Amino acid sequence: MPTRFLRTEGFRLSALYAGIFSLSILALGAFVLVITDQALRDQIVQFSSSDIAAVRNGYVNEGVREAREIVHQLMAGPVSSDFYLLEQDGKAIAGNLSAMPPRTGTVDIPATVATGNHEVLGVGAFLAPGLYVFSGSDTARLRMVQLHILHVMLGLFAAAMLLAVAGGTLVSWSFLRRTDAMARACRDIMDGDLKLRIPVRGTKDQLDRLAEAINEMLSRIGQLMDNLSQVSNDIAHDLRTPVTHLRHRLERARADCRTPEEYAASLEAAITKADEILGLFAALLRIAQIEGGERRAAFTSLDLGALLDQLREMFDPVAEEAGHSLRLTSAPGLVIRGDRQLLTQLFSNLIENAVVHTPPGTHITLSLRAVSGQAVAQVSDDGPGVPVEEHERVFRRLYRREASRTQPGHGLGLSLAAAIAELHGASIRILKEGPGMSVEVSFPLARDAA
Amino acid sequence: MKILLIEDDRETSAHIVYVLNKEGHEVELCHDGREGLGRARAGGHGALIVDRMLPRLDGLSLVRHLREEGSQTPVLFLTTMSGLDDRVEGLQAGGDDYLVKPFAFPELLARVHAITRRSQRTGENEPVRLKAGDLEIDLIRRTVQRAGRAIELQAQEFRLLEFLMRNIGRVVTRAMLLEKVWDLHFDPRTNIVETHMSRLRGKVDRGFGAELIHTVRGAGYMLRAD
Repeated sequence: MPTRFLRTEGFRLSALYAGIFSLSILALGAFVLVITDQALRDQIVQFSSSDIAAVRNGYVNEGVREAREIVHQLMAGPVSSDFYLLEQDGKAIAGNLSAMPPRTGTVDIPATVATGNHEVLGVGAFLAPGLYVFSGSDTARLRMVQLHILHVMLGLFAAAMLLAVAGGTLVSWSFLRRTDAMARACRDIMDGDLKLRIPVRGTKDQLDRLAEAINEMLSRIGQLMDNLSQVSNDIAHDLRTPVTHLRHRLERARADCRTPEEYAASLEAAITKADEILGLFAALLRIAQIEGGERRAAFTSLDLGALLDQLREMFDPVAEEAGHSLRLTSAPGLVIRGDRQLLTQLFSNLIENAVVHTPPGTHITLSLRAVSGQAVAQVSDDGPGVPVEEHERVFRRLYRREASRTQPGHGLGLSLAAAIAELHGASIRILKEGPGMSVEVSFPLARDAA
Repeated sequence: MKILLIEDDRETSAHIVYVLNKEGHEVELCHDGREGLGRARAGGHGALIVDRMLPRLDGLSLVRHLREEGSQTPVLFLTTMSGLDDRVEGLQAGGDDYLVKPFAFPELLARVHAITRRSQRTGENEPVRLKAGDLEIDLIRRTVQRAGRAIELQAQEFRLLEFLMRNIGRVVTRAMLLEKVWDLHFDPRTNIVETHMSRLRGKVDRGFGAELIHTVRGAGYMLRAD
């Protein structure tokens, strides 16, 4: 737990903030120390300068005696930390400092026996040649002020650290609690409860958004799983039928066939049946692949009208033989992005549906037009059509209308068409308006050609 | 012809060996990719039949190696994968044709014959005219003549006839026609091949005495000038 705790993002963030905050307090402290030091020194120098001005005034007006008198008066003042010296020809004649080599201007005297172990800052000046005066103050006061500031800063620093650590702990703890809840939910979901969802607090923060994204993903996975289990059920059910038929045929052949010709005919029929089953498998596999979506990499720009024209040419003899007519009305230059082979299969399935499920004499029309940025392709016939209530169902896998159960086909044509359309970002629907059946597929136009 | 079959599935390979033997071909069989590559390098085969998924060395890599080494032996890929891009991959790796398992035996035979024929032709100049008996087509001008009479064909009918003539004397299957003539790689529910073939026959064979296009029962079609 402790290391896990230290590794949380919340803790890292609060540690970072605490660090930055401490650094800024230190910088601020150093700045304040320098500023106050300078201000206090300036003040001492200013006071000392005015003392010296007073002594000089006394000397100029009334001579050395008066200068000594003023030094004495200054020394009797309330501040015990002040130091004075009046020196004539190298000998101290007034003040509380011993004689020293005269230095003028701002003078810093280190702590020595002469000053009674005080570090003194002051100003020295000559009143006349050989007559030197010094006035200064103990810098201990300055140090005390600085120490005081330092203490305040340290206090602030400690408080900030405490707050940062406490806040970080709190943030990390709540963060951990929520991520733990998410991880638990994920594990429960992995254990098989796909209906579970990650808890969302409703605060719309990052964790909530993450949880929502995961939940959406779970919904999508759930859909796919449902789809998958529906498909495997369908396959199990629908494959039993033709395999059982095949078995019946073989049993009857064993029981009834007498001549080699009869055997040959039975075997031929059995092979045809087996081919149908294999075809069903191939179609299912193909749908699965298309729904896998990896095919999009092979997309190219292609002229949908040209493709439909090829298909018309290809199916024309087929339609004619079935007693149908096949016509194409197409707007030129409608280019979409797609996979030529798959689109060929999509429209082949639609055309073949129209050919297989309608009586002779039916007119089949392919049309292509541009409608508000979409290439809308339509395969329609004027045959008996499909009742509106079945429109949704016909796109389902292995769904075969009662009416068409006796006709060839495996009930996958339209699901395959729908899967291909979806891969292309196209919408596919059966138009409600009659007569007959009209399937409309709307593709987004390719951007470079729109 | 001696054919090298590299296929790890025992049952499938037994069936293939049976069918090829029955057609009079000698079959050398091995069950793993590395051994197969060794045997193929030894040479002397009229064709290779290679499964895509093999132990030790997969079929694609095997054929890529052979082609890099300059081998010209025709290759037919077999696969259980019906992946839509697998066919393209197979051809890019140097395969001459591609067959998805499960397949009908006539399909396998027709394709083996087609690829061996194709390889004999490479190296020669691409012919401009193809002839079969009194039928003659011009590939450049895209014209057809039979017994000196011009025949009008639609584009698809011409492609169909061209494919048949290029495979003269060989069986071409429905699936081969769908792939090569119409570029369809799925099994349509309607009789596209049959109806186009019947139109073509109506134009090329009707009224000329001897028939050139023959139906081969359970297999496909063959163009033959007796």
